[in-house]
Amino acid sequence: MRKVFVLMLILTGNYTSVFSQELFVFTEPASNMPKKSVGVRITNEGMNNPSFMTRTIPEVMFGISKNLMVHGQAFLSNMDGSYRLEGGSLYAKYRFLSIDESQTHFRASAFGRISTSKRPTFSRDINLEGDNSGYQGGLILTQLLHKLALSATLGYAHSFRDNQKQVASMPQPNNMLSYSLSSGYLVLPVVYKNYKQPNFNVYFELLGKTDPSSGASYLDLAPALQVILNSTTRIDLGYRFQATGNVANRYAKNMYLIRAEFNFFNVL
Amino acid sequence: MKAIKLFSIIMLFFAARVSAQEISSVDLQVTGLTCSMCSNATQKSLETLSFINTIKPDLNKNIFVLTFKKNANINLDLILKKVKDAGFSVGSLTADFNFNQLKIDDKGQATVDGNVYRFANAKNKTLNGMVKAEVIDKDFISGSSFKKQAKTANSDAYASGTGIVNGKKTRIFHLIVS
Repeated sequence: MRKVFVLMLILTGNYTSVFSQELFVFTEPASNMPKKSVGVRITNEGMNNPSFMTRTIPEVMFGISKNLMVHGQAFLSNMDGSYRLEGGSLYAKYRFLSIDESQTHFRASAFGRISTSKRPTFSRDINLEGDNSGYQGGLILTQLLHKLALSATLGYAHSFRDNQKQVASMPQPNNMLSYSLSSGYLVLPVVYKNYKQPNFNVYFELLGKTDPSSGASYLDLAPALQVILNSTTRIDLGYRFQATGNVANRYAKNMYLIRAEFNFFNVL
Repeated sequence: MKAIKLFSIIMLFFAARVSAQEISSVDLQVTGLTCSMCSNATQKSLETLSFINTIKPDLNKNIFVLTFKKNANINLDLILKKVKDAGFSVGSLTADFNFNQLKIDDKGQATVDGNVYRFANAKNKTLNGMVKAEVIDKDFISGSSFKKQAKTANSDAYASGTGIVNGKKTRIFHLIVS
């Protein structure tokens, strides 16, 4: 059943050839949320590694100014036995360039993240959304061309060294370079009538990481579908699978993602 | 009888003041957005302005038609700010002005109710009745259009949008009558 589902995602992605808007499922766009708005997200991720494991991420997002937004996340999972709170993360994004034309824009942002996690470390891979404690900084460039959105992200993460959490004789995390290329396409509606009309977007993202010290890396393909209801509520469904890679014990391998996001404007 | 006459004259004056709302409506083209969530964010941001009466969006062309409350002080800079706060830009802003024998001087400048306008394509002229005009100040048009206008603009106030009027630093809007 899962295979059919994955295949469906891939086929849908390929059929529409190039993809939708810029509310990317696995990465963040350079654009920010509106000033004084608040967003609430609940994300569920799951994978077989080797048995089925799942993580839930409640998240709040604030539009502090037109250029600055902040996210706060909590991570809960059953990855080390019973379901527990394993950590949290703060993320901030600052938009420093915006070139808008009719139905197109180019934006550039810088972001930073600081995370904590109780999980033991046993891989050189760094995932600051649940698996590692550390910090990350990076750049995002996003281009919107009418119904097509393209985005590139470049990040550098450092894991806080904690020998007590390190599993003996296993690889230890230190630094990780991350990079991604994302595309999105607005499929429906072809013509807008009102705010109540559902929007349907398809996404295809390439997500890569490289450990600069060993050269080990991986590249994931990540197709996703998205529905936006009432111009405020967003529902994401995505899957990422490893196309190539040699990072031992890596995180988030062959993982599904389901997310609901609710936006509230002018509340701050 | 005399009192009634006086009263009607006062009322007429009042009525004239009421109907002489300077701007009756605005066509606001917002750029940088294509999805309805973005348009919704812009609409919600504009709705916080107390002087706006109605907002009618064209979600395909990203144009918002704004109408205003009677006797409200319309602030075009606040409209621009609200669009920017939502994360987008103004591509064009065309307003329907109601001018009552507005005299434009030899520099293309005119003052109505404390608002100072400079016309790029009108001088030594009187404007009366409904006049459609586009605001061409910085951030009211695209960056490339602004650069182009700046080269040909005859106004020392164009770059900053402010100038000295009657010895006071004043906001000056630059307009092109369409």
